[in-house]
Amino acid sequence: MRTSVLLLHRASGEPVEGELFDEVTVEHFLEAQREWRPIVLDAAKRLVEAGAAKEEIPRHWHWDWSSKESDLRVLAYGFVGIAYEGRLQGLMKLETAGRSGRIAAQKGKPLVYVDYLETAPWNIKQIASVLGAKPKFGAIGTRLIEAAVRRSLEEGFKGRLGLHSLSSSERFYLDVCGMTAVGKDPAKQSLLWCEFTPEQAEKFLAGGTA
Amino acid sequence: MNQKRTMTLNLTDQEMKVLEDLSNQKDLSKTAVLRQALRLYQLVEVKLAEGGKLFFEDQKKEKAELMVL
Repeated sequence: MRTSVLLLHRASGEPVEGELFDEVTVEHFLEAQREWRPIVLDAAKRLVEAGAAKEEIPRHWHWDWSSKESDLRVLAYGFVGIAYEGRLQGLMKLETAGRSGRIAAQKGKPLVYVDYLETAPWNIKQIASVLGAKPKFGAIGTRLIEAAVRRSLEEGFKGRLGLHSLSSSERFYLDVCGMTAVGKDPAKQSLLWCEFTPEQAEKFLAGGTA
Repeated sequence: MNQKRTMTLNLTDQEMKVLEDLSNQKDLSKTAVLRQALRLYQLVEVKLAEGGKLFFEDQKKEKAELMVL
């Protein structure tokens, strides 16, 4: 699947057409590690040296997409990427089996779990600014979450979606996407479990937060 | 999503009853339940092949290793 999606070119404020795809390969993982990771690591080091607060330091500096190569052959996992002019702008790993809702009314009902979602570092305001630049593209995370909700609908999960949010991303998932904050999960580094009910997912896809 | 192929599945009454119960409990179509089962089966096989082990933990926190054939 390859489809056009609108991204926001921040410098001009104009929408631009990116490409969303689920035919992710190991080449995309290698690109993320080669092009993204040194920038994230550099920004994290600079923030630590500058005495930045813990929550300001990107917690995904150690992520390694190349370690997920074998996951490409597993049906329970799915990957989605976004590119603009051939350059990777965002990458997401989904789990489509074995996960269920935690909101009381959704308990036991399967959902799509967003295991990893990463935006290219030049699109992240905090990282770009510490490196003396401005973020290039916006709406990458929104387009990826939309793709995850659509995958949930395709799986028959009615849009149900769940994820553990890094602290720096909580506002995005709660305020921008409109997910429900269910609670900190002690089994997952006390990250906040956020969840879409079918109704919230439908509203999100329609263009408004729940 | 990849193009889908169709297959016919013959189930006993008991198997169909279990499938219908799971379909109701999980708020899924019967096809989606079977697709989930296939994914979980492959996932378990992959994890076992990587040297992982599959356990069930009871309420007393005692673990029993599950044998998957």
